[in-house]
Amino acid sequence: MSGIIDISAGQLMLAFVFIIIAQASSFIYHLGLNRDITVGAVRTFAQLFLMGYVLTFILGSESLILTVAVFTVMVVSAIFIVKGRVKEKQVSYILPTFLTMLITYFATALFVSGLVVGTTPWWEPRYFIPTGGMVIGNSMSAIAIALERLFRDMRQQRDLVEMKLALGANYHEASDEVFRNAVTAGMIPSINAMMGVGLVFIPGMMSGQILSGTDPLIAIRYQIVVMFMLVGSTAITSIIVMLIVRKRCFGSGEEVLLTPR
Amino acid sequence: MYFLNKRIVNELFNIRTMMPLLEIRNLSFSWPGTSVKVFDHLDLTVHAGAFILVRGGSGTGKSTLLRLICRLNQPDNGLIIFKERNIIDIPPAVLRSMVSYVAQIPQMVDATVEENLLLPFSFATNRSKTAPGKQELVRMLAEFYLEEVGLDQSALKLSTGQKQRLAIMRAILQQPDMMLLDEPTSALDPESAAMVFSIMERLNTTRNMTILSVTHSDYSPKTLEAITCRLENKTLRINT
Repeated sequence: MSGIIDISAGQLMLAFVFIIIAQASSFIYHLGLNRDITVGAVRTFAQLFLMGYVLTFILGSESLILTVAVFTVMVVSAIFIVKGRVKEKQVSYILPTFLTMLITYFATALFVSGLVVGTTPWWEPRYFIPTGGMVIGNSMSAIAIALERLFRDMRQQRDLVEMKLALGANYHEASDEVFRNAVTAGMIPSINAMMGVGLVFIPGMMSGQILSGTDPLIAIRYQIVVMFMLVGSTAITSIIVMLIVRKRCFGSGEEVLLTPR
Repeated sequence: MYFLNKRIVNELFNIRTMMPLLEIRNLSFSWPGTSVKVFDHLDLTVHAGAFILVRGGSGTGKSTLLRLICRLNQPDNGLIIFKERNIIDIPPAVLRSMVSYVAQIPQMVDATVEENLLLPFSFATNRSKTAPGKQELVRMLAEFYLEEVGLDQSALKLSTGQKQRLAIMRAILQQPDMMLLDEPTSALDPESAAMVFSIMERLNTTRNMTILSVTHSDYSPKTLEAITCRLENKTLRINT
């Protein structure tokens, strides 16, 4: 079988049955999630349709500027999502996190699209945008988890960090454990994904390729590249962001700036 | 009771040498985001070998004073000079290896007693210093009333009083010039508190350790050079 069966508007509406089931569950068991499910469903619908039209336009235009612009908008959206999850007021982390994300995601997407897959030109939107999207989506979650962990542990273990400072440790020696735990917490989901892939679940990209008629043996090669890319980009971005933000948790006298909430 | 101005302090604290070990001039501090001063124009001079006890009610800034000296907090204004150098010109880790601060609630890492005692030597600033051997540690444990504590046992399982004595011993091991003790007996029973006071006096008299300690208790050091001060109205007053 080759090609993909189109989903009509009516068939698409049938998928809303799953949303209705989720809404009913929340209502019956008083989970308080009805509003979130509604907003989530509407946003999924609207954002993906918008993305579909944007992608159709960009793939047709073959413009470097448009490709980079869409990529930048995706990173800006990601930093807003991170900001929404990490509610930290005492340490400014937004700008360094954004710049690190922008540079490392771009380098990763460029490496995969231009070197591993070998597209010409390197920014070929059909490869560059989805690759960038996967990197941004996965790594964004890792950074949010790592930042939350860093700030939480720095507060909870403030006395321990100060004890080490008082014994002559510099700020990175004093917060070494906090730093390592934060990076590890961010990376565990993508490492676990490598463990379970192909056994526990079939990743979205590979499923999509198979559904659209691609040979599974080609689809798995893409998926292997994607899995490795996600682990690598998550590691690099998390470590750079944590190094910069950890430094910002300390003042000019290497004193802990975060106070208990 | 007098205002502890520089002239009086110099006269009273001029014990072993003319050159002060620590000098605080015109220190002001308020918590970030507030305009209420914890201290205003606070002066203090400490000579090597002194034993200074600072008393004061809750919230008068006793602990903050110690934290400012080792830069765990930053002052709004004023000057803190240690060994003739402005402390902001001394790398923080180096300063803290010379001015050892022991917190009110003793902190231990999840490791053995020995690993906790040798923790300072794992930091770059202290690597050039010679770490004590097991025999020396065992001898010192006895000196700190910790004969019953084994080097291989978990430090987290010790009582608060034992942890406090271990924390003071650990701070001493890095051979500081001065110790800052933040209410070292506040969480202890009377027996443990007496042990800590005895250790403080012994460190001062036998090792000539300069000690600046804050306390809530009525304890009065028995050493000759002990000076008791009181923190109130945002400055230090000396008890006569």
